[in-house]
Amino acid sequence: MDHRDYRLWDLPTRLFHWFLALAIVAASVSGQLGGGLMTLHGRIGLAVVGLLAFRLAWGLVGSTYARFGQFFPTPARIRAYLRGEWQGTGHNPLGALSVFCLLGVLIAQAATGLFANDDIAFTGPLYDLAGKARSNGLTAIHHLLSKLVYVLVALHLAAVAFYAFARKQNLVRPMLTGRKAGTGEPARGGGAVALAVALAVAAVAVHGARGGWMPPPPPPPPAASTPDF
Amino acid sequence: MKFKLLIAAAALVAIAGTASAQIKPEEAIKWRQSGYGFMAWNMARIKMNVEGAAYNKEEVVKAANAIQAIANSGMGALYLPGTDTGTGWEKTRAKPELWTNKETLGKVATAFNKEANEMAKVAAAGDAAAAKDQFGKLAATCKGCHDEFKIKQ
Ligand code: HEC
Ligand code: HEM
Repeated sequence: MDHRDYRLWDLPTRLFHWFLALAIVAASVSGQLGGGLMTLHGRIGLAVVGLLAFRLAWGLVGSTYARFGQFFPTPARIRAYLRGEWQGTGHNPLGALSVFCLLGVLIAQAATGLFANDDIAFTGPLYDLAGKARSNGLTAIHHLLSKLVYVLVALHLAAVAFYAFARKQNLVRPMLTGRKAGTGEPARGGGAVALAVALAVAAVAVHGARGGWMPPPPPPPPAASTPDF
Repeated sequence: MKFKLLIAAAALVAIAGTASAQIKPEEAIKWRQSGYGFMAWNMARIKMNVEGAAYNKEEVVKAANAIQAIANSGMGALYLPGTDTGTGWEKTRAKPELWTNKETLGKVATAFNKEANEMAKVAAAGDAAAAKDQFGKLAATCKGCHDEFKIKQ
């Protein structure tokens, strides 16, 4: 029995992955229940913005297999993979396609949410930039896209199950431990400086998404009471 | 005598009939949109109080009473036949199902009225935590109807 393994997914990538999974479930549940949970929904959505911004940055400065350039699914690579000729480590070209689709749709989901309103008592933090009419349109897209998120997540889970049962490849364990059985070039890079840069990008994105650069709202009236008529 | 009563009753029905028929479709749409918009203002006021730093009981009572009044005002009368299309303050976003799926409409409307009445009661009692809880329940019933009968756009 060969016990060799190598470093595949770095810790930030793995933390990103599991926090994102958690956040998407929480955002879906809170969004569908609505009511008093909308405030929470907005906060979770902002966390998703931070996670996505982090991942985009990490895709540039992270360790080997976290980098977008390493696994970008060019048509040639996808064709090779489908013919069974692809020889590589990390995300295979189809998996990479799924990564980019998920990231893209989630970015659109979170972005539309920032401008959305629920016609009850909740608005996204950037609602004022859009105005009511455009916000309604973006809310409808937010609603439609959420269905697409479910489809992609379902495909993602189905693919993991397919590799587990049909291909006898456990994809979950490396995403937990970071290590993959077998031999391969270990992941390099993505040190402390890169991490600081990616975290800074995430912080800036969340600040902007919260309306940090919007003109401050007019101060609320001192005593929140209304006249008697 | 009986006959006279019948005529009087028929006349009353006719007058009542024309009275509601006299609401113009675009007015009906405007009024219902206004009612909802006014409720949204009051929901925002309650939210400000239950999520903000300070709880102002009087404000929450005013807002909750306003919502309760509208909830019990018989607004359903504003869904005149044919007003599934048309423009009030804006193009109507009522789904055609609102005129056909009476059973679901009854369910969501009853749930809404119940929580609106409860909101007024809870507001009068003045407990901030209870008001926050009830606000969430009430908002969920607004959404309950919107999910079924309001077009998302
Ligand atoms: C019985 C169903 C129902 C309930 C309950 C309900 N709504 Fe609505 N709401 C609608 C429908 C239908 C429309 C679309 C009306 C139209 O455009 O003609 C609407 C529209 C709205 C609008 C947009 C108004 C506009 O300017 O076009 C707001 C805001 C709104 N509702 C808020 C609320 C709030 C807040 C509550 C709860 C306190 C609530 N609604 C409860 C059915 C409902
Ligand atoms: C990627 C993260 C997000 C996911 C998966 C998500 C998912 C959802 C879902 C499933 C709904 C219910 C849709 C419906 O009932 O039709 C919803 C509604 C909503 N979301 Fe999000 N959301 C996300 C991010 C955000 C963000 C960042 C905001 C703003 C801060 C936001 C604001 C809203 C609003 C205002 C609604 C109410 C729409 C309505 O009731 O018509 N969302 N979201």
